[in-house]
Amino acid sequence: MSKSKKKASKEWEPNIVTFCCNWCSYAGADLAGVSRFQYPPNIRIIRVMCSGRVDPTFLLKALKDGADGVLLSGCHIGDCHYISGNEYTDERFKKLHKIIIKQLGIDEKRVRLEWVSASEGKRWSEVVTEFTNQIKKLGPFKKSN
Amino acid sequence: MTQMKKKGEIKPVFSDNEVYMDKIYEPKMRKLLRRCYQCARCSGICQLSKVQKFTPSRIIQEILEGFEEKIITSGILNDCLTCNSCLQNCPEDVNFADIVRMARYKMRQRDAQCLDDSIAHKAMYTTISELMSYSHMEPKRDLSWVPKECEISDTGEIMYFVGCQPYFKFEFDELDNVPSDTLKIISKIEDKPIVVRKDESCCGHDLYWGQGKFEAFIDLAKKNYELFERAGVSTIITSCAEGYRTLKVEYSKLFDDFSDKFEVKHVLEYIYEKWKQGEIEFKNPDDKLVDVQFTYHDPCRLNRFLPKESTLIEDIREMFGKLKSLGYSFNEMEHNKKNALCCGVSSWMNCNERSKALRYKRLLEAKAAGTTMVTSCPKCILHFSCLQNDFEDIASIEIKDVSEFFVNLIHKVEKKKEVK
Repeated sequence: MSKSKKKASKEWEPNIVTFCCNWCSYAGADLAGVSRFQYPPNIRIIRVMCSGRVDPTFLLKALKDGADGVLLSGCHIGDCHYISGNEYTDERFKKLHKIIIKQLGIDEKRVRLEWVSASEGKRWSEVVTEFTNQIKKLGPFKKSN
Repeated sequence: MTQMKKKGEIKPVFSDNEVYMDKIYEPKMRKLLRRCYQCARCSGICQLSKVQKFTPSRIIQEILEGFEEKIITSGILNDCLTCNSCLQNCPEDVNFADIVRMARYKMRQRDAQCLDDSIAHKAMYTTISELMSYSHMEPKRDLSWVPKECEISDTGEIMYFVGCQPYFKFEFDELDNVPSDTLKIISKIEDKPIVVRKDESCCGHDLYWGQGKFEAFIDLAKKNYELFERAGVSTIITSCAEGYRTLKVEYSKLFDDFSDKFEVKHVLEYIYEKWKQGEIEFKNPDDKLVDVQFTYHDPCRLNRFLPKESTLIEDIREMFGKLKSLGYSFNEMEHNKKNALCCGVSSWMNCNERSKALRYKRLLEAKAAGTTMVTSCPKCILHFSCLQNDFEDIASIEIKDVSEFFVNLIHKVEKKKEVK
């Protein structure tokens, strides 16, 4: 534990907040763990019952309070446990990107929406690896400090 | 421990922030209240007291007697509308809204009360303001709303300070025309291109009055001050009442030379001045007579919050009176001018059934006065038109911004003297 922290202080590691829906993405992440697919340890998963629960404010607040990237993940369109929750998410997310993230001057790659189902453990590890590498390339969100 | 240290590192530390802080914050609230002699006029006039239990005079007395801690932990001051009606009627000029502002800062510091619970729209727009206050953030605004006939530039003399209106598009579409119409009016009158900046930040009004985040407000103010200097502007025009108040009063409190360097005008004030100078006249687009009964809602920031010497409230009524020849007859609402009722929400605080009752009352007054309600505060428009979705009887009122109202009426007077 202490060793890993010492390592982190030497080299910058991104902090990524991830919102996962309970029925698909969280189970998908679970499957990735059970099947021992490797992915970087930079993500912190917050479980929500549906991706529709995630208010756009949560994503902005995460960035405000020190996250370098935010990943929102839910069931594929049509597979939502609550029938249409993820359709609302999709709509809201597009608007958030177009009107707020873009106009604030935040790099659009820092905030991402992905659909991962419960059976896609492999895909989950790929998505997280790719997203973490992308954030690492972009550097810390708060460059001044 | 290591985490604590890391958190400390993230917060930007500015050495001169304390100097600015002293100008806008007084930790000893009792100092500001000593003049109060409990005439309780504030409690009588308070608009919130009509819909819930809220007595400013009693709160003042409790603070004076040493129960400041109790007032702050109870969170009662979160409910205040900061509409300033109490100051308007106070014989001793005790500024209760200022006390509320400082108390909210204290609440933030102590984590005694989670303010975020009472912020409307889950604090979306205040989070945006805070994000903009970070020094590394460079907003890249979308300027596609600029009309084709208007010329804009990055530097110049006259600037149009757009404010947060482009961000409100996320949930509302009532304000889509306000920035473009304002720009149309200004460029009709001025010959030179108008300065509209892509990297303009929020003015910080909501952080200052509602959220008690003075540090972020100071950072925003500094950012904007630098921006104005970089653009080389001398006149700043805004179409937002809250932005007007913040730029005109709060920024000149922070920076001693702000009022000397920049002249801040609301678009309504600007239209009045140009009309008085004879540069513009009011004409219907096709010279057709119309028959419109309209009324004007005074937003608190362009009314009770104005400096005492300002005559803007009377001036605009003079201008509205002249519109009668075009068929626009102006009617006053029951409560008008300095006694105008509040729209019920300020700085995105407290959108609840009590504040909705206040808004409903105001819209009923508007309905009695005419079919169109003109106002000069974009947020008032949002709050009112949001309530119109809930109640059918007030849905017929047309709510317009001053810029939308004037854009087709203003015509530039051609200078005939030069031709002779």
